[in-house]
Amino acid sequence: MRRLNRVFLYDDGAARALKIEEIAKYLRKKLIKVGVEVRGNPFAFYLLQDKVSDYARKIASIKIQDATKKWSSEQEPLYGEIEYGKKMILGKTRASGVLYDGLELQRLFFEVIPGRERSLQFVHIVFSNRLFATWDEHERRYHARVNLCGIPSIISTTGVVEAPAKPRGYYLLRQQYEMLGKDLLELKNSFKGAFIDYEDLRLTEVMKGYAMQSVFYSLVGDPFCQDKGCRLYNAHWQEELIFAQIESEYEFCQRHMSFLEELNEY
Amino acid sequence: MSTEKIEVKEDKTIKELVGEMSLSSAPILLELDGEIFYPDENYDRKIQAGNRLTVIPIIAGG
Repeated sequence: MRRLNRVFLYDDGAARALKIEEIAKYLRKKLIKVGVEVRGNPFAFYLLQDKVSDYARKIASIKIQDATKKWSSEQEPLYGEIEYGKKMILGKTRASGVLYDGLELQRLFFEVIPGRERSLQFVHIVFSNRLFATWDEHERRYHARVNLCGIPSIISTTGVVEAPAKPRGYYLLRQQYEMLGKDLLELKNSFKGAFIDYEDLRLTEVMKGYAMQSVFYSLVGDPFCQDKGCRLYNAHWQEELIFAQIESEYEFCQRHMSFLEELNEY
Repeated sequence: MSTEKIEVKEDKTIKELVGEMSLSSAPILLELDGEIFYPDENYDRKIQAGNRLTVIPIIAGG
Protein backbone atom coordinates (compact mmCIF):
# COMPACT_ATOMS: atom_id res chain seq x y z
CA MET A 1 0.00 0.00 0.00
CA ARG A 2 1.32 3.41 -1.01
CA ARG A 3 1.54 6.37 1.34
CA LEU A 4 -0.56 9.34 0.30
CA ASN A 5 0.75 12.85 0.63
CA ARG A 6 -2.17 15.04 -0.39
CA VAL A 7 -5.49 15.05 -2.25
CA PHE A 8 -6.27 17.94 -4.61
CA LEU A 9 -9.83 18.55 -5.80
CA TYR A 10 -10.50 20.61 -8.93
CA ASP A 11 -13.69 21.97 -10.44
CA ASP A 12 -13.79 21.96 -14.23
CA GLY A 13 -17.28 23.46 -14.43
CA ALA A 14 -18.89 20.54 -12.60
CA ALA A 15 -22.66 20.46 -12.04
CA ARG A 16 -24.06 23.16 -9.77
CA ALA A 17 -25.52 20.47 -7.49
CA LEU A 18 -22.02 19.22 -6.69
CA LYS A 19 -20.69 20.52 -3.40
CA ILE A 20 -16.94 20.04 -3.70
CA GLU A 21 -16.27 21.46 -0.23
CA GLU A 22 -18.56 18.78 1.20
CA ILE A 23 -16.55 16.11 -0.63
CA ALA A 24 -13.33 17.61 0.74
CA LYS A 25 -14.81 17.43 4.25
CA TYR A 26 -15.79 13.80 3.68
CA LEU A 27 -12.30 12.89 2.44
CA ARG A 28 -10.71 14.59 5.46
CA LYS A 29 -12.80 12.35 7.69
CA LYS A 30 -11.87 9.22 5.78
CA LEU A 31 -8.18 10.07 5.33
CA ILE A 32 -7.32 11.49 8.71
CA LYS A 33 -3.62 12.02 8.05
CA VAL A 34 -3.80 13.17 4.45
CA GLY A 35 -4.27 16.83 3.57
CA VAL A 36 -7.16 17.67 1.25
CA GLU A 37 -7.09 20.90 -0.77
CA VAL A 38 -9.72 22.42 -3.08
CA ARG A 39 -8.11 24.19 -6.04
CA GLY A 40 -10.83 25.38 -8.42
CA ASN A 41 -10.53 25.08 -12.19
CA PRO A 42 -7.36 23.15 -13.09
CA PHE A 43 -6.56 25.18 -16.19
CA ALA A 44 -7.22 28.49 -14.48
CA PHE A 45 -5.19 27.30 -11.46
CA TYR A 46 -2.06 26.34 -13.40
CA LEU A 47 -2.13 28.19 -16.69
CA LEU A 48 -0.78 31.62 -17.38
CA GLN A 49 -3.28 33.86 -19.14
CA ASP A 50 -1.42 33.64 -22.46
CA LYS A 51 -1.78 29.84 -22.51
CA VAL A 52 -5.57 29.83 -22.15
CA SER A 53 -6.10 30.11 -25.91
CA ASP A 54 -3.68 27.22 -26.58
CA TYR A 55 -5.54 24.94 -24.21
CA ALA A 56 -8.95 26.07 -25.43
CA ARG A 57 -7.79 25.00 -28.89
CA LYS A 58 -6.43 21.68 -27.62
CA ILE A 59 -9.67 20.91 -25.78
CA ALA A 60 -11.77 21.81 -28.81
CA SER A 61 -9.69 19.45 -30.93
CA ILE A 62 -10.44 16.38 -28.77
CA LYS A 63 -14.18 16.57 -29.31
CA ILE A 64 -15.70 13.33 -30.60
CA GLN A 65 -17.80 14.00 -33.67
CA ASP A 66 -18.87 10.42 -34.39
CA ALA A 67 -18.94 7.76 -31.65
CA THR A 68 -18.05 5.07 -34.20
CA LYS A 69 -14.84 6.80 -35.36
CA LYS A 70 -11.69 6.90 -33.26
CA TRP A 71 -10.37 10.37 -32.47
CA SER A 72 -7.52 11.58 -34.66
CA SER A 73 -4.93 14.21 -33.79
CA GLU A 74 -5.46 15.77 -37.22
CA GLN A 75 -8.87 17.08 -36.21
CA GLU A 76 -9.01 20.88 -36.66
CA PRO A 77 -11.36 22.75 -34.34
CA LEU A 78 -13.56 25.59 -35.53
CA TYR A 79 -13.10 29.17 -34.30
CA GLY A 80 -16.39 29.04 -32.38
CA GLU A 81 -15.35 25.82 -30.63
CA ILE A 82 -12.10 27.42 -29.44
CA GLU A 83 -13.96 30.47 -28.14
CA TYR A 84 -16.37 28.18 -26.32
CA GLY A 85 -13.39 26.30 -24.81
CA LYS A 86 -11.93 29.60 -23.58
CA LYS A 87 -15.19 30.53 -21.89
CA MET A 88 -15.23 27.15 -20.15
CA ILE A 89 -11.69 27.52 -18.86
CA LEU A 90 -12.52 30.98 -17.56
CA GLY A 91 -15.67 29.65 -15.88
CA LYS A 92 -17.99 31.76 -18.05
CA THR A 93 -19.97 28.79 -19.35
CA ARG A 94 -20.47 25.08 -18.72
CA ALA A 95 -20.00 22.20 -21.17
CA SER A 96 -23.13 20.73 -22.68
CA GLY A 97 -23.85 18.28 -25.44
CA VAL A 98 -20.21 17.74 -26.35
CA LEU A 99 -18.46 14.37 -26.09
CA TYR A 100 -14.70 14.32 -25.51
CA ASP A 101 -12.06 11.62 -25.89
CA GLY A 102 -11.44 10.85 -22.21
CA LEU A 103 -7.82 9.76 -22.53
CA GLU A 104 -6.91 12.89 -24.48
CA LEU A 105 -8.76 15.09 -22.01
CA GLN A 106 -6.85 13.46 -19.17
CA ARG A 107 -3.59 14.03 -21.03
CA LEU A 108 -4.33 17.76 -21.24
CA PHE A 109 -4.97 17.92 -17.51
CA PHE A 110 -1.75 15.95 -16.93
CA GLU A 111 0.22 18.49 -19.00
CA VAL A 112 -0.76 21.38 -16.75
CA ILE A 113 0.06 19.61 -13.46
CA PRO A 114 3.63 20.56 -12.45
CA GLY A 115 6.15 17.69 -12.62
CA ARG A 116 6.78 17.83 -8.86
CA GLU A 117 3.12 16.99 -8.25
CA ARG A 118 2.88 14.19 -10.82
CA SER A 119 3.04 11.32 -8.39
CA LEU A 120 0.70 8.65 -7.09
CA GLN A 121 1.36 10.07 -3.63
CA PHE A 122 -0.67 13.06 -4.75
CA VAL A 123 -4.27 12.28 -5.65
CA HIS A 124 -5.49 14.77 -8.23
CA ILE A 125 -9.25 14.60 -8.81
CA VAL A 126 -10.95 16.75 -11.44
CA PHE A 127 -14.74 17.02 -11.23
CA SER A 128 -15.99 18.01 -14.62
CA ASN A 129 -19.33 18.31 -16.32
CA ARG A 130 -17.71 17.40 -19.64
CA LEU A 131 -19.01 14.10 -20.95
CA PHE A 132 -16.12 11.87 -21.95
CA ALA A 133 -15.79 8.44 -23.46
CA THR A 134 -13.15 5.81 -24.15
CA TRP A 135 -12.69 3.92 -27.39
CA ASP A 136 -13.51 0.20 -27.37
CA GLU A 137 -11.29 -1.53 -29.91
CA HIS A 138 -13.49 -4.67 -30.05
CA GLU A 139 -16.80 -2.90 -30.51
CA ARG A 140 -15.21 -0.15 -32.63
CA ARG A 141 -17.08 2.58 -30.83
CA TYR A 142 -16.82 4.98 -27.89
CA HIS A 143 -18.37 4.29 -24.48
CA ALA A 144 -19.34 7.14 -22.19
CA ARG A 145 -17.68 6.93 -18.77
CA VAL A 146 -18.24 8.20 -15.26
CA ASN A 147 -14.58 8.23 -14.26
CA LEU A 148 -11.11 7.75 -15.60
CA CYS A 149 -8.47 6.97 -12.98
CA GLY A 150 -4.98 8.23 -13.72
CA ILE A 151 -3.06 11.45 -13.15
CA PRO A 152 -5.34 13.21 -12.66
CA SER A 153 -8.46 11.12 -12.14
CA ILE A 154 -11.42 12.71 -13.90
CA ILE A 155 -15.00 12.28 -12.70
CA SER A 156 -17.85 13.48 -14.88
CA THR A 157 -21.03 14.83 -13.35
CA THR A 158 -22.63 14.38 -16.79
CA GLY A 159 -21.19 10.88 -17.16
CA VAL A 160 -22.83 9.80 -13.92
CA VAL A 161 -26.20 10.58 -15.55
CA GLU A 162 -25.45 9.32 -19.05
CA ALA A 163 -22.98 6.42 -18.73
CA PRO A 164 -24.54 3.83 -16.39
CA ALA A 165 -27.60 2.28 -18.01
CA LYS A 166 -31.04 3.35 -16.82
CA PRO A 167 -33.75 0.76 -16.07
CA ARG A 168 -34.65 -1.34 -19.16
CA GLY A 169 -38.26 -0.20 -18.94
CA TYR A 170 -37.15 3.40 -19.31
CA TYR A 171 -35.56 2.76 -22.72
CA LEU A 172 -38.57 0.77 -23.95
CA LEU A 173 -40.97 3.51 -22.94
CA ARG A 174 -38.71 6.22 -24.30
CA GLN A 175 -38.95 4.66 -27.76
CA GLN A 176 -42.74 4.75 -27.49
CA TYR A 177 -42.71 8.32 -26.20
CA GLU A 178 -40.48 9.42 -29.07
CA MET A 179 -42.64 7.66 -31.66
CA LEU A 180 -45.79 9.24 -30.29
CA GLY A 181 -44.14 12.63 -29.79
CA LYS A 182 -44.97 12.61 -26.08
CA ASP A 183 -43.23 14.75 -23.46
CA LEU A 184 -40.06 13.00 -22.27
CA LEU A 185 -40.13 14.98 -19.04
CA GLU A 186 -43.30 13.11 -18.13
CA LEU A 187 -41.44 9.82 -18.66
CA LYS A 188 -38.51 10.99 -16.56
CA ASN A 189 -40.89 11.93 -13.77
CA SER A 190 -42.45 8.48 -13.80
CA PHE A 191 -38.95 7.03 -13.15
CA LYS A 192 -38.02 9.71 -10.61
CA GLY A 193 -35.41 8.43 -8.18
CA ALA A 194 -34.55 5.35 -10.25
CA PHE A 195 -31.54 7.05 -11.79
CA ILE A 196 -29.26 10.00 -11.10
CA ASP A 197 -30.47 12.96 -13.11
CA TYR A 198 -29.01 16.38 -13.90
CA GLU A 199 -28.68 18.58 -10.81
CA ASP A 200 -29.80 15.61 -8.70
CA LEU A 201 -29.65 16.35 -4.98
CA ARG A 202 -27.95 12.96 -4.43
CA LEU A 203 -25.04 13.91 -6.70
CA THR A 204 -22.61 15.00 -3.97
CA GLU A 205 -23.23 11.82 -1.98
CA VAL A 206 -22.65 9.69 -5.09
CA MET A 207 -19.47 11.58 -5.98
CA LYS A 208 -17.94 10.90 -2.56
CA GLY A 209 -17.71 7.25 -3.58
CA TYR A 210 -16.15 8.08 -6.95
CA ALA A 211 -13.62 10.31 -5.20
CA MET A 212 -12.74 7.34 -2.99
CA GLN A 213 -12.23 5.21 -6.12
CA SER A 214 -9.56 7.72 -7.19
CA VAL A 215 -8.02 7.55 -3.72
CA PHE A 216 -7.82 3.74 -3.84
CA TYR A 217 -6.38 3.89 -7.34
CA SER A 218 -3.40 5.79 -5.94
CA LEU A 219 -3.31 3.81 -2.72
CA VAL A 220 -3.40 0.22 -4.00
CA GLY A 221 -3.42 0.54 -7.80
CA ASP A 222 -6.99 -0.66 -8.22
CA PRO A 223 -9.98 1.69 -7.83
CA PHE A 224 -12.66 -1.01 -7.86
CA CYS A 225 -14.21 -3.71 -5.70
CA GLN A 226 -16.35 -6.71 -6.62
CA ASP A 227 -18.65 -6.16 -3.63
CA LYS A 228 -21.89 -4.56 -4.87
CA GLY A 229 -22.42 -2.85 -1.52
CA CYS A 230 -18.97 -1.21 -1.44
CA ARG A 231 -18.58 2.37 -2.71
CA LEU A 232 -15.76 1.12 -4.90
CA TYR A 233 -18.08 -1.08 -6.96
CA ASN A 234 -17.77 -0.28 -10.65
CA ALA A 235 -21.47 0.18 -11.42
CA HIS A 236 -22.65 -0.15 -15.02
CA TRP A 237 -26.32 0.29 -14.17
CA GLN A 238 -27.94 3.21 -12.38
CA GLU A 239 -29.59 0.78 -10.00
CA GLU A 240 -26.17 -0.65 -9.00
CA LEU A 241 -24.73 2.85 -8.65
CA ILE A 242 -27.52 4.04 -6.34
CA PHE A 243 -27.21 0.90 -4.25
CA ALA A 244 -23.41 1.09 -3.87
CA GLN A 245 -23.31 4.82 -3.15
CA ILE A 246 -26.54 5.48 -1.25
CA GLU A 247 -28.60 2.47 -0.22
CA SER A 248 -26.00 -0.04 0.95
CA GLU A 249 -25.87 -0.60 4.70
CA TYR A 250 -22.12 -0.14 4.72
CA GLU A 251 -19.78 2.23 2.90
CA PHE A 252 -16.84 -0.06 2.31
CA CYS A 253 -16.37 -3.80 2.37
CA GLN A 254 -14.24 -5.34 5.12
CA ARG A 255 -11.15 -5.50 2.91
CA HIS A 256 -11.23 -1.88 1.84
CA MET A 257 -12.18 -0.73 5.32
CA SER A 258 -9.02 -2.38 6.63
CA PHE A 259 -6.90 -0.53 4.03
CA LEU A 260 -8.33 2.75 5.32
CA GLU A 261 -7.68 1.78 8.93
CA GLU A 262 -4.10 0.92 8.07
CA LEU A 263 -3.62 4.22 6.23
CA ASN A 264 -4.99 6.18 9.17
CA GLU A 265 -2.71 4.37 11.62
CA TYR A 266 0.53 5.57 9.99
CA MET B 1 -4.74 -4.62 -14.36
CA SER B 2 -3.16 -2.67 -11.51
CA THR B 3 0.20 -0.92 -11.08
CA GLU B 4 3.16 -3.21 -11.69
CA LYS B 5 6.83 -2.72 -10.84
CA ILE B 6 9.35 -4.10 -13.31
CA GLU B 7 13.12 -4.24 -13.41
CA VAL B 8 14.76 -3.59 -16.76
CA LYS B 9 17.04 -6.52 -17.71
CA GLU B 10 19.01 -4.84 -20.51
CA ASP B 11 19.48 -1.41 -22.05
CA LYS B 12 16.65 -0.44 -24.40
CA THR B 13 14.30 2.36 -25.38
CA ILE B 14 10.86 2.99 -23.94
CA LYS B 15 9.40 2.02 -27.31
CA GLU B 16 11.15 -1.35 -27.20
CA LEU B 17 10.01 -1.93 -23.63
CA VAL B 18 6.32 -1.25 -24.28
CA GLY B 19 6.51 -3.34 -27.46
CA GLU B 20 7.98 -6.31 -25.58
CA MET B 21 5.31 -6.00 -22.90
CA SER B 22 2.55 -5.68 -25.56
CA LEU B 23 1.55 -2.37 -24.03
CA SER B 24 1.92 -0.15 -27.09
CA SER B 25 -1.83 0.36 -27.44
CA ALA B 26 -2.69 0.19 -23.72
CA PRO B 27 -3.52 3.41 -21.87
CA ILE B 28 -0.66 3.58 -19.37
CA LEU B 29 1.77 5.92 -17.67
CA LEU B 30 5.29 4.98 -16.64
CA GLU B 31 7.19 6.01 -13.53
CA LEU B 32 10.99 6.08 -13.49
CA ASP B 33 13.03 7.61 -10.68
CA GLY B 34 9.99 9.45 -9.38
CA GLU B 35 9.12 10.95 -12.76
CA ILE B 36 5.79 10.01 -14.35
CA PHE B 37 5.36 10.27 -18.11
CA TYR B 38 3.38 9.04 -21.10
CA PRO B 39 5.42 6.37 -22.92
CA ASP B 40 4.33 7.48 -26.41
CA GLU B 41 5.82 10.93 -25.77
CA ASN B 42 9.12 9.37 -24.70
CA TYR B 43 9.62 6.52 -27.17
CA ASP B 44 13.28 7.37 -27.84
CA ARG B 45 14.18 7.72 -24.20
CA LYS B 46 16.82 5.18 -23.15
CA ILE B 47 16.48 3.05 -20.06
CA GLN B 48 19.24 0.96 -18.60
CA ALA B 49 19.59 -2.52 -17.14
CA GLY B 50 18.71 -2.31 -13.48
CA ASN B 51 16.27 0.59 -13.85
CA ARG B 52 13.05 0.02 -11.98
CA LEU B 53 9.90 1.19 -13.69
CA THR B 54 6.33 1.26 -12.52
CA VAL B 55 3.64 0.63 -15.10
CA ILE B 56 0.56 2.65 -14.14
CA PRO B 57 -2.57 1.64 -16.06
CA ILE B 58 -5.24 4.23 -16.72
CA ILE B 59 -8.54 2.70 -15.62
CA ALA B 60 -12.00 3.72 -16.80
CA GLY B 61 -15.18 3.13 -14.84
CA GLY B 62 -18.92 3.34 -15.25
